[in-house]
Amino acid sequence: MSDVTARHRLRSVATTLAVALTLTLAAAAGCDNRKDPPLPSVLDKLRESHIDGQPKIKIGVATTEPLMGELRNGVHGGFDVEIARYLAAFLGFAGDQRIEWVSLATEDRIPALQGGVVDLVVSSFSMTEEREKLVSFAGPYFVTTQEVMVPVRLKNRIRTIEDLRRPEYRICTSGGSTTEAELEKHDVKAYVVKEVGDCVRGIREGRYDAVSTDETILAGFLSLYPKEFEIVDMPFGTSELLGVGVPIGDPALRDLVAFALQKSYLQGRSGLSSPWLTAYNRTLGPWLKADKSQPQPLNVPKLVDFDDKAPVR
Amino acid sequence: MSAAVTEEARPATPPPAVRDPAERRARASQSFWSAVVGVPAIFSVLRLGVEAGGELQTTLLLVANVGTVNLLAGFLTTAARLLSTGLVATFALGAVLRVSVERMPATVRRPLLARWVDVTPAWFAVASFLLALITWQLLYLPLLVPAFVAAFQLTPARLHERRIPRLLILAGLLVGYAWLLAPTLVDAARQREWLAVALLAAPPLLALWITGPLPGAVIRPLASITEAAVLATLVWAALPVISTPVLPLTVTTVESAPGVTEDIRGHVVTTDDVSMVLLQDRGGVRYVPTDQVRAQVLCPGEEELPRHRLRIHDFHVDDSLLEGLGRRVRPVHRIDAACRAVG
Repeated sequence: MSDVTARHRLRSVATTLAVALTLTLAAAAGCDNRKDPPLPSVLDKLRESHIDGQPKIKIGVATTEPLMGELRNGVHGGFDVEIARYLAAFLGFAGDQRIEWVSLATEDRIPALQGGVVDLVVSSFSMTEEREKLVSFAGPYFVTTQEVMVPVRLKNRIRTIEDLRRPEYRICTSGGSTTEAELEKHDVKAYVVKEVGDCVRGIREGRYDAVSTDETILAGFLSLYPKEFEIVDMPFGTSELLGVGVPIGDPALRDLVAFALQKSYLQGRSGLSSPWLTAYNRTLGPWLKADKSQPQPLNVPKLVDFDDKAPVR
Repeated sequence: MSAAVTEEARPATPPPAVRDPAERRARASQSFWSAVVGVPAIFSVLRLGVEAGGELQTTLLLVANVGTVNLLAGFLTTAARLLSTGLVATFALGAVLRVSVERMPATVRRPLLARWVDVTPAWFAVASFLLALITWQLLYLPLLVPAFVAAFQLTPARLHERRIPRLLILAGLLVGYAWLLAPTLVDAARQREWLAVALLAAPPLLALWITGPLPGAVIRPLASITEAAVLATLVWAALPVISTPVLPLTVTTVESAPGVTEDIRGHVVTTDDVSMVLLQDRGGVRYVPTDQVRAQVLCPGEEELPRHRLRIHDFHVDDSLLEGLGRRVRPVHRIDAACRAVG
């Protein structure tokens, strides 16, 4: 009899505990439901960034690099420009009427960011340690290698880095670029001009014999003069990571750009068409020897956005 | 003498303290249904006032333009979760208290929640649980298990009369549950979301012991505390519901002069041939000439941002079953740039 009573008592204590714990859990769930999201949201970051409230976003692009950044009949086009449009739309500046395009020469990219002339630079900007002391980078959004483009008449004579060192060949590159340093490292003396376009014009006018820069920029000029030039694959070794330049004082904007690139990367990885892939296929894709895919952006912050709840599979 | 006794035994009117059980039931039933119908009705009207930013004229503008059906539908969409939570809590606690007071002497007054459970038809309780099932966020859905078990007093003994098969069935159910949630639990532990782990793992175990009477000493304080707690929770949870907009949030692009555009973030109250009436997000009403409207996009509100980064088999834990299914029908949801542009 006392055994049954004891069991009843134990049972009622267990019930009390279960009821109390369930009520506690329910209360905790209620509090949890009311708290703010633990991670910053895209909107929070936008409010932190200096572009918040601006009527237009100022983006620095190249206007003389075919396929990457060019100005044709008053309309900006190219891979970098398409990426810039996607980023602008992500940041709330959809359409060219909300974008102020600032044409930048290669060596003006860092000063323009530092001086507040532009909010972003999307212009074949290689991410290097040196530059990261002066500006912030989000990316990479493209991995490219340094190559050399020679006129068809020289395609059999300039094949190696050794050939570039020979004094009879005049090698040209643009100032303030990573190519300049890379050529120096390989003891190649180069004529440094303002724009890669000047080198190409120089070769066509007989002033230079070869031009060295990123394969993407060279592909652009090759697309303009497909019968006059050829790209020679040379083992320069280091690959270039192209990133989006952001003022160093605006980490929120850097985070947003990295997050936008990551969004496109994840879309592409899941087999969907991504903004990156669309930009690539419309511009560089047909002109590069090997097909490329979007590289994974580095240091992407964890942010919450409205479409996070969408199914991923 | 005997006549006097007869006279005393038949009072002309019964004293007010004495009530027969039928009348008690009727009164409890009345109070319950008043709460079920009245609370949503009052909320719907209160919401309009909050939506209008407390301005009398704006409230009147909304009253004139938001139809009763729209208001009720809008209310149900946003408050179904709160409503079902209130009902589920009432039924679960009421049933626990009811089974507990049955052992008490008959003189003890039955707690209000227990009386409400007495008068509610079973179909209504089941319907409330179904509403909760489809509207609660997945993360909180496991709590429905102990609540359901408590509300219908489903002891494990009802699974099978013999001990061994009963234990096997229980083990099977728990293993199935663990298999369903294992990836999410691992993910939650990795993210150090311990509350999420507890919310997902504990409720089915609690359900095993939640049935049965409570000790006599606990009933009285539990009854009064839970009555107050349910009421307080409803009021506390009602505040965000009252401030949830009735009208959808849009960003309207207006071209007031050639080449000059402006984005207005707000809710469209009504549109006619002459003007579009916008209730601005930051307050105030704008009458925009209809021919100046260039574009309009629907935007998500900030309260819709997810709070967790957990999924149960690709269903986000912050979504209800209904929302999760909806997202599978229309998976891609793009956020228009205009929604980000104006804060």
